[in-house]
Amino acid sequence: MDILYSLFIEPLTKMYFLKALAGGSIVAVVCAVAGCLVILQRMAFLGDALSHAMIAGVGAGYLFMKIFFGVEAAAGAMLVGSLISAFITVFMIGFVAKVSRIKEDASIGIMYTGVFAVGVVLVSVFGKYIHIDLMHFIMGDILGISDFDMIVSSVVSAAVLTVIILFFRYFKITSFDPVMAASIGIPVLFFKYIFTGCVSLIVVSAVSMVGVILVVGLLITPAATAYLLTDRLEKMMFLAAFFGFTSILGGMYLSVWLNSAGGGAVMLFSTIQFLTVLVFAPRYGLLADLLKKRKMVPQQVIEDIVLSMDKSGVPVTPEGIRMYMDVHHKVFVNALNQLQDDGMISVSGGMYSLTDKGITEAVRLKKAHRVWETYLHYMGVPDNELHEKAHVLEHFNDSTAIDYIYGKMGYPETDPHGAEIPVFYADGAFCLTDIYGFSRQQVEVVSIDTEKDIKEGDIIKVTHEDDIWTAEKNGEKIHLTEEEVSGLTVKFL
Amino acid sequence: MENNKEYAIQVRNLTVSYGPKPALLDVSFMIYSGELVGIIGPNGAGKSTLMKAILGFVKRDIGDVYVFGKPVEQTRGMVAYVPQRGTVDWDYPVTVYDVAMMGRYGHIKWWKNASREDHEIVERSLEMVRMSDFRHRQIGQLSGGQQQRVFMARALAQGAKILLLDEPFAGVDAATESAILDVLAEAKKAGITLVVVHHDLATASEYFDKLLLVKQRLYAAGPPSLVFRQELLTEVYEGRLKVFTDLIKA
Ligand SMILES: Nc1ncnc2c1ncn2[C@@H]1O[C@H](COP(=O)(O)OP(=O)(O)O)[C@@H](O)[C@H]1O
Ligand SMILES: [Mg+2]
Repeated sequence: MDILYSLFIEPLTKMYFLKALAGGSIVAVVCAVAGCLVILQRMAFLGDALSHAMIAGVGAGYLFMKIFFGVEAAAGAMLVGSLISAFITVFMIGFVAKVSRIKEDASIGIMYTGVFAVGVVLVSVFGKYIHIDLMHFIMGDILGISDFDMIVSSVVSAAVLTVIILFFRYFKITSFDPVMAASIGIPVLFFKYIFTGCVSLIVVSAVSMVGVILVVGLLITPAATAYLLTDRLEKMMFLAAFFGFTSILGGMYLSVWLNSAGGGAVMLFSTIQFLTVLVFAPRYGLLADLLKKRKMVPQQVIEDIVLSMDKSGVPVTPEGIRMYMDVHHKVFVNALNQLQDDGMISVSGGMYSLTDKGITEAVRLKKAHRVWETYLHYMGVPDNELHEKAHVLEHFNDSTAIDYIYGKMGYPETDPHGAEIPVFYADGAFCLTDIYGFSRQQVEVVSIDTEKDIKEGDIIKVTHEDDIWTAEKNGEKIHLTEEEVSGLTVKFL
Repeated sequence: MENNKEYAIQVRNLTVSYGPKPALLDVSFMIYSGELVGIIGPNGAGKSTLMKAILGFVKRDIGDVYVFGKPVEQTRGMVAYVPQRGTVDWDYPVTVYDVAMMGRYGHIKWWKNASREDHEIVERSLEMVRMSDFRHRQIGQLSGGQQQRVFMARALAQGAKILLLDEPFAGVDAATESAILDVLAEAKKAGITLVVVHHDLATASEYFDKLLLVKQRLYAAGPPSLVFRQELLTEVYEGRLKVFTDLIKA
């Protein structure tokens, strides 16, 4: 108990801890919410550029107040200075990318390091007058957060959050489809500037807490974590806000326990949180991916089952099929289930048999196999290798490819072993005489050559009894000759 | 010149450029209300740019675009568009319903939420393109044809009188192609003017009342029989003509 108390409760009794928690959370939550739009617009660079550029503004603001008013470290002026330098940087990035052949990413690299450099030189040249702790600026100090910073970040956060909530719809559509947004009269550019302004504000107010280097993390990481978990922007923002808060909370405890720099601990925690979600996210996580792949049954297994059931011709037990397969039991069971879901096999009394659809699939596979064998034979592949090679090729799940090869060989009737090649077309249609056992099912006519009242697109049921072919259409029975049936192709509904 | 109200779209001497070379040069044409028009031309011909100009999205160097007789700037929302597949971020966290609802954004006051009427319109639009069952799907988890239909629903929800589609048939299977054609036919019946960027010359003359042949300039505009002329296609498609000579004969 004592340990738990000193680990979790005791820090909460410290004023500096509570203050950091409150200030940090406010900033982190707003950063995370804005961060969602930042990553969706692939603007991750923006936070980086803005935070680095700030130092020039801070230095200039300090100097300005000192020289003209003799005021030391005027926080307000430094804030305004950093905002101005942030805007200048954003403007310069766009300007250089627009007027020259330099692309935007390079332009960013140039401008933000450039403005950052101005700041560094400024601060070191006027080191005598400017008392800015560069280290503090770079690393931040969440545990030593000042009242002024606290007030500024609260006001800024409230303002930015209000803007985002108020114009949520417009931020969503301008980031998703700016052309459409413009076409219904939404001022795309205006919202882009507003948003850039918002990001500048929160970045500037977050720097004093986590420092220049880590502020991008606060903007991006919680938002990216949320992105892995949801499919709606609204939810993503809520989740991101939550992860922003937990980053601060977890990070603060970490920093107290490890006695480390606050900003570092916060980002460390945030990153671990991201990696955890990356692994365990239910849909977009790595583990889910892996499971999905495990559950997926190789097409080959499915096809082998269909073929072996077709060969046996009578209902069989799963063990009976299993004998001919060399696969893991789990895969086999999954394959059977999938075949059942797809309506290829039916079960009755523990015995499995192919449905009409399954029989058709078997015919399609046989055709594929025989076409490939014939093709390989033409290609001069030795006979003893034919079967094995064709077995690999037949799993191409592309019937137009088969039709193409088939046609190229002049539609041979038999394969090299003398087995008949069934007629089966790319669009899933097949010739009725090749497949039997359809009496129970309706099919759609794909093509027919007859004077009788059956045409393409009709839904019919065909029976073959006592050597008489009968097509039933809307309850009306029509007899077909052997010749008409051989020219009839149909497909399943 | 009179700005005739009969015309859904009038483009006059339009030139648009992104750099030193104009993407569109002095393009003029007119489209009647209720027509189904195809825009054809090779890659990089400026077809998408022309669409954006009709939407008022690109800056015109010179020239005018009128929609129902009014300058395009004053006709916001009258023209809807279905973007080219490649230009959409399919990982964006929005559902089918969200996208369709975007069609209503132009009608909803900025301080208000979507009304019951808006929701009803969205539902109806989704039904029209038979996507109601997928309303909660994230858009990346749909087939190519379904994705097209979502954007069609958005355009319908927008209630636009003119619908622009950028290569809706690219990379979709035959069944989807006919499904999209059905929706187009239905929209046409409802009196909507349709302008479609199309890449397949083999089907162009079958699908459209009128064709615009574009490659930076407008090479021809009119019924397919007028546009499918050997010397024109040779000039526009250069080396790749062989395939088309059969087409012209057919
Ligand atoms: N945003 C852009 N910036 C610069 N150039 C562009 C832009 N969009 C299109 N272009 C150029 O304009 C020309 C026409 O493009 P586009 O309208 O997309 O052609 P199409 O849709 O016919 O393939 C192309 O040369 C293309 O490179
Ligand atoms: Mg294009």
